Amino acid sequence: MNRDYAKYALRRVLQAIVVVLLAYVFTFVVISVLPGDPVTNTLRNPQNGFTEEEITRIVSYYGLDRPVHEQLWDSLSRLVVGDLGVSLRSGLPVTRLIGEVVGSTLVLALSALAVALVLAFAIGFGTRYLPKRGGQGLLRAFPALFLSVPNFVVGLVLISVFAFQLGLFRVIDSEGGAATSFAAIALGIPVSAQVAEVLIANLDHEAGQEYAAVARSRGLGRTRLFLRHLLKPSSLPVVTVIALTVGELLGGAVITEQIFGRTGVGSLVERSVTTQDLPVLQAVVTLAAVTFVVVNLVADLLYPLLDPRVRLAGGRSRGKAEVAAP
Amino acid sequence: MAPQDRLTLDRVEAPGQASAGALLRVEGLSVSYGDHQVVSDVGFALRRGESLALIGESGSGKSTIARALLRLLPQGIGRASGSVEFDGHDVLSLPERRFRPLRGKRIGFVPQDPGTSLNPVRTVGSQAREAAALLGGPGGHEELVLDTFAQVGLDNPRRVYDSYPHQLSGGMLQRVLIGLTVLPRPALIVADEPTSALDVTIQKRILDLLSDLRRDLDISLLLITHDLAVAAERADSLVVLKDGVVREAGRTAAVFSAPSSDYTRRLHADVPALNPDRYRHLRDREPAGGPPKIEVTGVTKSFTVDGRRLTAVDDVSFSVPTGTTHALVGESGSGKTTTIRLLLGLEEPDRGAISVAGEEVAGRSHASLRSIRRHLQLVYQNPFTSLDPLWTVERLVGESLDRFRVGTRRERADRVREALHSVGLGEDLLSRKPSALSGGQRQRVALARALVLRPDVIVLDEPTSALDVSVQAGIVEVLLSLQAELGLTYVFVSHDLALVRQLAHTVSVMHRGRIVESGEVGAIFDHPRESCTRALVDSIPVGAGAVAEGVS
Repeated sequence: MNRDYAKYALRRVLQAIVVVLLAYVFTFVVISVLPGDPVTNTLRNPQNGFTEEEITRIVSYYGLDRPVHEQLWDSLSRLVVGDLGVSLRSGLPVTRLIGEVVGSTLVLALSALAVALVLAFAIGFGTRYLPKRGGQGLLRAFPALFLSVPNFVVGLVLISVFAFQLGLFRVIDSEGGAATSFAAIALGIPVSAQVAEVLIANLDHEAGQEYAAVARSRGLGRTRLFLRHLLKPSSLPVVTVIALTVGELLGGAVITEQIFGRTGVGSLVERSVTTQDLPVLQAVVTLAAVTFVVVNLVADLLYPLLDPRVRLAGGRSRGKAEVAAP
Repeated sequence: MAPQDRLTLDRVEAPGQASAGALLRVEGLSVSYGDHQVVSDVGFALRRGESLALIGESGSGKSTIARALLRLLPQGIGRASGSVEFDGHDVLSLPERRFRPLRGKRIGFVPQDPGTSLNPVRTVGSQAREAAALLGGPGGHEELVLDTFAQVGLDNPRRVYDSYPHQLSGGMLQRVLIGLTVLPRPALIVADEPTSALDVTIQKRILDLLSDLRRDLDISLLLITHDLAVAAERADSLVVLKDGVVREAGRTAAVFSAPSSDYTRRLHADVPALNPDRYRHLRDREPAGGPPKIEVTGVTKSFTVDGRRLTAVDDVSFSVPTGTTHALVGESGSGKTTTIRLLLGLEEPDRGAISVAGEEVAGRSHASLRSIRRHLQLVYQNPFTSLDPLWTVERLVGESLDRFRVGTRRERADRVREALHSVGLGEDLLSRKPSALSGGQRQRVALARALVLRPDVIVLDEPTSALDVSVQAGIVEVLLSLQAELGLTYVFVSHDLALVRQLAHTVSVMHRGRIVESGEVGAIFDHPRESCTRALVDSIPVGAGAVAEGVS
């Protein structure tokens, strides 16, 4: 198992690196074939007052007159050493711009994830505990409800009720703890729906398994049955779902930051799109790809450790984790 | 339910023993799932230290009764009424909080399939420790668990303790589960078909273990089984169920020597272990003579699994005379299945020769294999998965005729009807789909599908193991009369030695890919030379034989 696992882990890490590089190349190519050249547009802006000769010098200094594949190679070599270029709009290094906002978005996304998990597991526990006719049906309808309400609506309702009417947080102080919590709730609710759906389905499945009845026949009560027997096998697929909801969290963060007036990656993207600040956009796309790949990599690496039945298929043929047939 | 059943119950509690009192008394128990009543007015009593068997075929309600006693019926769906009195407690009317201390501690439960009865993502040890902790007392339950594992005959308790369920065999898991059940020293164990998911040689060991524990720890046993022979061997008294109703009840010897209901008599006649010579008149005919129909000589086949070379079939030879049945027996993993795959040309042997009706099977091209398959057909183990659920019976049976373009459309339709008729099915089934057929009907359709090409040889891969005994008896009868009528040659794979004895002429015993013993069925079974043959023969319940002699 251990040698197999090391092989498996190495394969997955290498695959992840390749995926990130491909994502970078892909965005680079897409940007370079887009019509309109923001660099020359900026330089030719009469307000900047560059002469034709100066423009040519600047363009050749940055290598922008060379073929695309050479530029790509330069860009990749800079990426490897962590240099993402310079913002066209502010002239600041892109790494610094992203560094300033990434913390705030990370806090928002992680708190949203925490909200989503707490909500999902509370719903899951409730469906096991409440009697069939005493609210269980209502609880089971929650995920569908959460999914069908767009998160900007949830955000606006939260602001109008908790900030304007109850005064629990101030919209001005958008980075404060209370404001962050409410933003996390708005962002976490749709994510919790996906987790809860999977969790409920798995809990139902596991509760119907023979081992659950046999555990009860040994005198185990409902709470212990839930916590010790049903929870772990039902939570394993949740790991996969969480990895997949990263996209949801990143996309949702753009909107949520807008609604709650937060500065973050979302607001940076919004600004850069409107001003055609290509190096920043390129960096943000790469960042999103890295996040996605890393989270899924972690999920893949965790899974064999969490589920003892997962058998790693031989190193060469398929590097996939498979659940052994019962 | 009729009053005479009450009378038979009274007979169970013979005078003079009534003072011992019943540990478990069930009266007028009815269980329904929604509107569907599956158990009606069932009553029986089990005395302290005794064992009682609930016998019945699938759908007779026997497992439902077990679940009702433990109050483990599916929540909100299953409803039980009547009275269940256990050791002075009225089980059905107690609130859940007061009943839970009884469950596990006083009434233990041994499930049917050990493979699915432990949590797959937790170690055996952690689940055992949890069971031990429910008994209360100071910590350090590990010692207690390890001792119990040793007590139930697990060779390496430490290893079992540290393993996950999927790393242990079915027999070991069932020992673990029995260990967890006896750990709190319950007064009663309810065992729901505790061996039906296990290999035959292990079945006997598990039943022996249960009997020993029962004697040593003074535990009463409620054994639920479909196997009359097992019940006869292990229980003091019997309750025979059909369709949720008690058909007969009484002391084991009495029920066997003078069964009072037709149903019990039929059930008795259908159990192979109790009637080894039932089909003698069909089986023992003049052999046709001539060269053997099937000849397998020195066949070897290995596979590579996880980088290791595994010899599944090792230098296997046997021959089957025309019009006879040859049985391949052995535990799971002994190479039976690979042998028949080789015989059917589904695998290529590494070495050796296989010939069917004088034609070589091995080393043929795909096209010429097809021509052999017209003479060589297979009937699978599980009729619930071997028939395409979307096809009608007519299409299922007629498929191979269409493939081989036999005769005109009209002739093909006639052949399908003829094949169905020969397995005892009427034309009214032609347009049905498998879901509208019973298990026995499905296996008959599978047999008709094999017969329709008029083959000489049929390979039967455990053809009745998924069926109830009475359904099995019907299929066996069809097989034997077809053999007598058409001179078919059968290769019969089974782990049910009693069934092999009933219908086969010759037998090969396989062990780890080799044939360790072969010859006439009677000779091998009466005088086994090899230890593994003896283990297989011993797995036929013997107590049943003694009781059966009393009948004849």
